[in-house]
Amino acid sequence: MITALLLGLIAFVAQSEYALGTSLISRPIVTGMLTGLVMGDVKTGLIMGATLELAFIGAFSVGAAIPPNVVVGGVLGTAFAISSGAGAETALLLGLPIATLALIFENLYMGVVLPIVLHKADKYAEEANIRGITIMHVLGGLGMSTMIGAIVFISYFAGSDAIKNVLDAIPSPVQTGLEVATGLIPALGFAMLARLLINKQVAPYFFLGFLIVAYLKVPVTGIALLGAIVAVVMVNVMQTQKLATEKGGVMDDDDEDF
Amino acid sequence: MTTKISNDNGIKQEEKSLEKSPEISKKDLNRLFWRSFQMEFSWNYERQASLAYTYAMIPILKKLYKKKGDLSAALKRHLEFFNTTPHIVTMILGISAAMEKQNATDSKFDSSSINTVKASLMGPLAGIGDSFFWGTLRLIATGIGTSLALKGNILGPILFLLVFNVPHIALRYILTKIGYKMGTGFLKKLQENGTMGNLTFGAAILGLMVIGGMSADMISLDVPLKIGSGESATAVQDILDGIMPGLLPLAAFGVIYWLLGKEVKATTILIGIAVVSILGAWAGIFS
Repeated sequence: MITALLLGLIAFVAQSEYALGTSLISRPIVTGMLTGLVMGDVKTGLIMGATLELAFIGAFSVGAAIPPNVVVGGVLGTAFAISSGAGAETALLLGLPIATLALIFENLYMGVVLPIVLHKADKYAEEANIRGITIMHVLGGLGMSTMIGAIVFISYFAGSDAIKNVLDAIPSPVQTGLEVATGLIPALGFAMLARLLINKQVAPYFFLGFLIVAYLKVPVTGIALLGAIVAVVMVNVMQTQKLATEKGGVMDDDDEDF
Repeated sequence: MTTKISNDNGIKQEEKSLEKSPEISKKDLNRLFWRSFQMEFSWNYERQASLAYTYAMIPILKKLYKKKGDLSAALKRHLEFFNTTPHIVTMILGISAAMEKQNATDSKFDSSSINTVKASLMGPLAGIGDSFFWGTLRLIATGIGTSLALKGNILGPILFLLVFNVPHIALRYILTKIGYKMGTGFLKKLQENGTMGNLTFGAAILGLMVIGGMSADMISLDVPLKIGSGESATAVQDILDGIMPGLLPLAAFGVIYWLLGKEVKATTILIGIAVVSILGAWAGIFS
C-alpha cells in the first residue's frame, strides 16, 4: 500500500515535468532510478530505467502527436520487473500495454476536460479576471498529474500479485520472442526520429553514423562529438560554396596570382 | 517618451499618452522566464499551449494595461491557438512583451500584428527547436545517460538531466532577453542572412549521425541458424557479419522507416514487432 502510494507520487511528480520546463524528469531513465529507490533496489531500477528509456526513445511529443505515456510505462514497468524478479523484457511487456492504456485517459483529458477548462478561462478573460485564468491553468495541469499518479497507484496496488501468475503462464518461445522484440523496439524510436529529420541533403549522415559504429564500435558520445565536427565542417563548406557562386570569378582571380 | 518625464516630475497623467506605461523591468522579464516553464502544463488539443502562454504573459499585461477593457482584450488575444518547442518559447514571449509595450503606448500600433508575429514565428522556431532539443540534445543526453545507467551507475540519470537541462535553461533564459531586445526584427534578420538555414542543417547532420550510431549500437537481431552440420557448420550470423556488421538491425530499421512512411501507426508497428519476434523465436530463426 505504501509502495503503491510512493510510486503514485513518483508518477505525479514526473508527469509534472510539464510545469517544470519540460525538463525530461518524466523519462524512464529518471523514474526508473526513483522507482528502484522506493522498491529498495536502485541498481536494477537504473538498469530497467535505461532499458525502457531506449525502448521509449521515440516517445516524445512533436507537434500534436502524443506518444504512449512514458511515466506510467517507466514507473510500472520498472516496479513490476523488480517485484517479480524478471528481466527487462518483462518491464517492457508490462510497461507498454499500461502506457498505451494511460494514453487513452491522457487523450480524453486533453481532448475533453482541458478544453472545458480553457472555455472557462475564455470567460474569465472577458471579465479581465487574471486570478481566474491562473487558477484554470494550474488546476488543469494538476488534474493531469493527479490522474497519471492515480493510474500508477491503482495498477500497482491491484496488479503486483496477479502479474506473477500471468508471467508463469507465458510459454518460453513467447519469452524468447519478447527478448528479441526488446532488441528491435529501439529501431521504431530511431525510425520515428529519422522521419523527423531526414531529407535528401542530410540522409547520408545517418548511414555515416551507422557505419562508423558498426565497423569501429565507437561509443555514442564519440559519435556525438564527431557529428558536431562534421556539422560545423559541412555548414562551412556550404557557406564557402555559396560565397563562391555569389561572387562569381573572384576566387579564380586569387588563384592566378600565385 | 514624455511619459517618463512626467513620472519623474510626479505629474499623474500626460495629455497625449494613451496609458501611463511603466517600463518593463528586468524583474518583469525574469517573471516571464520563470512562468514559461509551465508552457505545456495545460496543453490541450483545442488551442494547445495558449492558456499557458497567457499565464506567462499575465505579469507583463497586468503592468501595461490598467483599463479593464484593454487588459481583457490582451488576455483574449493570447488565448488564441499557440504551439512551439517549449524550451525556447521565451524568444516569442519576449517579442510579444516588446510588442505589447508598443501597443500600450502607441495609438497607431496595430494590435492584431502581435498574433500575426506569434503565428509566423512558432513554426520556424518549432522546426529548429524540435530538431535541436528532441533530435540532438536529448539523444546525446540519452546516449551518455543510458550507457552509464545500464551498468547500474547512478550518474546515468543525473548526467542525463544535466546534459539536457543546463543548455536548455541557459538558452531559455538568454532568449527571453534577446526576444525582448530585438523585438520583431531579429528572426527576420536570421532568415535573411541564412543563419537559420545553417542552424537547421547543422542540427540535422549531428542528430542523424547520432541516430545512425545508436541504431548500430542498440538495435540487435541475431540469427542462431547454422548451415551444414558438425564441425564444418557455418553460422549464418557470421556470413551476415562478413557482408556488413549490423546488416539485420539496419534492415529492421529500414522496414520500420518505410512502414512509418506508409503512415502505419507506431502502436501497430510495435505490435507487429512483438508478433514477428515471437513467431521468429518459435520457429528458431531469431534468438
